[in-house]
Amino acid sequence: MEISEQRQGAVTIVKPGGPLCHAEAEQFSGHIDEVMARSLGRFVLDASGIPYVDSSGLGALLRITNDLGESGRSLRVCSANETLREVMDLTGLADRFEFYEDVNAAVRSFL
Amino acid sequence: MQNSASPSATTAPTPMVATGGPRKRFFRKPGPIVGAAATFAAVLLMVVAVCLVWASATHQDVVTGFNEDRLRVVSRLLASDIGAVLAQGEGEVGTVNASLREAALRHQLTICRVVNGAGECIADASVYAVGGAQLPDEWPPIPEPLRAVGERTEYGFFRSATVLHVAGRGEALLEIGGGVSASLFETDHLQTGLILIGGVAACGFLAAWRMLNHRFRSFSFVRALIERAASEPAARAESLVLGVGDAATGRAWNDLMSARDALRERAVLRETIEGLGTSGRGEGGGNSAVDALWIGVLLLGPDGKIRYANGAAAVMLGVRRDQLTGTTIADLLPDAALLNAVKDVSSGQSRQRTSVELERGGAGPDAERSVLRVTVKGLRKEDAAAALVMIEDVTQQRVADESRNAFVAQATHELRTPLTNMRLYIDTLVEEAGDPAVRSKCLNVISGESRRLERIVGDMLSVSEIEAGSLRLAEDDVRLDALFADLDADFRAQTEDREMILTFDLPPKLPVIRGDRDKLMLSLHNVVGNAVKYTPPGGAVRVVVREEGSLISVDVVDNGIGIRPDECERIFERFYRAKDKRIGSITGSGLGLALARQIARLHGGDIIVRSEIDKGSTFTLTLPSAPVAAGAIGTGGGIGTGKAGEQRRAA
Repeated sequence: MEISEQRQGAVTIVKPGGPLCHAEAEQFSGHIDEVMARSLGRFVLDASGIPYVDSSGLGALLRITNDLGESGRSLRVCSANETLREVMDLTGLADRFEFYEDVNAAVRSFL
Repeated sequence: MQNSASPSATTAPTPMVATGGPRKRFFRKPGPIVGAAATFAAVLLMVVAVCLVWASATHQDVVTGFNEDRLRVVSRLLASDIGAVLAQGEGEVGTVNASLREAALRHQLTICRVVNGAGECIADASVYAVGGAQLPDEWPPIPEPLRAVGERTEYGFFRSATVLHVAGRGEALLEIGGGVSASLFETDHLQTGLILIGGVAACGFLAAWRMLNHRFRSFSFVRALIERAASEPAARAESLVLGVGDAATGRAWNDLMSARDALRERAVLRETIEGLGTSGRGEGGGNSAVDALWIGVLLLGPDGKIRYANGAAAVMLGVRRDQLTGTTIADLLPDAALLNAVKDVSSGQSRQRTSVELERGGAGPDAERSVLRVTVKGLRKEDAAAALVMIEDVTQQRVADESRNAFVAQATHELRTPLTNMRLYIDTLVEEAGDPAVRSKCLNVISGESRRLERIVGDMLSVSEIEAGSLRLAEDDVRLDALFADLDADFRAQTEDREMILTFDLPPKLPVIRGDRDKLMLSLHNVVGNAVKYTPPGGAVRVVVREEGSLISVDVVDNGIGIRPDECERIFERFYRAKDKRIGSITGSGLGLALARQIARLHGGDIIVRSEIDKGSTFTLTLPSAPVAAGAIGTGGGIGTGKAGEQRRAA
């Protein structure tokens, strides 16, 4: 899975280009760990390229937001499609994340 | 102090609590008040018991006397009757027996018989005891021992022997006997009632014992403490709080209250220090709240060492949280101004709030630059720590400030250039108004510069609108073939002038997509114009359009000067222009590509660039070819579903 990165100001926008399943979830998780370490947590997950997630993908997202929760923050997710939001709502995990409609709104939240 | 286990007033309650023993036991050692109450209750019970016994004995005597009198009367009356029957009778036993039986039944007599002087029973209430049916003709005289029986009561049994003088036959003896005692305990219901009452009384007594013991225990403690404190008047020097004069108990009471308050304060303080200083994760509500803060919080002791750090502080300082406790600020943030502030505050010399902004990298070799604002504030002496350090990550704010400053500078520059040109040509026009050639040239330049100004202002407004989330797209069907035809027409003359080759490599059939035609045209115009602008004369620009699944991909390939890898992303920032010296003479606002990318993203696509210095660049614009879901392109900022611009934040 290709994971692209963009910078907008001091904020890194991480955009996975595929579903978060199995090996991809592990790859994604490792990538986010690396981004988290070098950016002090100033990053946004652009979920526009994630069509769906499975349990391992959901687990990876949950672990990331829990790690951020250690420092009083949560994972900022933007441009999530209806499927992803529905999964979050059905599993009751939606309130563990911050959802934004687009990248700009997510980046502005760091101000 | 008399109690050697309590060396001070503050520790006095401990042994007192210990005297309570195991709380689960039913019988605990009673306090003095409960002991007195229990004694009183026991005495009361004993009195009641004695009264019952006395009442029972009296009742016994009365009933026995009454029954004796009754049986005595019965004996006399029966003697009279039986004597008459025997004197008048024909000598049949049956008549006598019937009279005896009737008397026995009526008066509940156990013995009711007539015997002669020889000791033979001649008539009895019990028919089986009589031998013959006829009375004997002559009866011998009653011997003296039988005559002396008289009336007596033994063991609750009344017995009477009356001598009958029967004319013509001799003497006979009428014997009757029956129980006269009326013991209270012989009655079943009385026994049951007494047992029940006794049981209930015992249970009530035990319950009252327990309740009183529990309720008065605290009073017992207080009393004991007062006595103990009174025996040590010099232990504490607090004055009376209550207006109870100089009584020893009053002073002791006040001492007790003061000691209790001091203990409570000490316990709270100890818990706070332990919670803040030693545990990595606080259990208390206050610590949990600080843990949930995204601002780093450090509490420093008077020695300058960290007593508590929340999670955000650990992340911002790049150190594990459990390693933070005990270290000093100097190990983590070696900044002279900050260290001086911490030193002043920790030592109590200053309680002034001091803020320092530090620039530092994060953890790892390729860590990004971060700006931390560290604020040091002194705390009160009675607080658990000497200084509070708050760490905020203000990197994005600083970048935004820099970006705004750059924007203002660039905008000023971009606006000033055409305005300067216009002013110069207007001056020329005024001075040389008579020369038609000069006038025509000046007007052309002014017209061109005003259009440039208009374009710059338009671009700035568009970028601002997009970034503010207020840009509205006019959604409509967009025919891509017509779009590229217009694009070809726009650049045909310009490329021919520069002897460049502009080719459009289009598939035979292009789809119709949903979007804002003008904005898409502007985006493509900016990308193709950028390629044409930065490709030297004689170069080639090729526009390749492909349909890949649900995406339309537009590659704009040039063989121009290329872009350095570290600038490939920055050229999409507002007003950013590459640092290449070769483009110094080429005018540009630095807004075109930023605008193009924003428009592509608003349509659900994107623009990326691959480039190599001196070999050329390829800008790839992707757009979704499938109709975008309703509402996706409605208002600015929204490329997902739902209400655009609305943030859905976690609670």
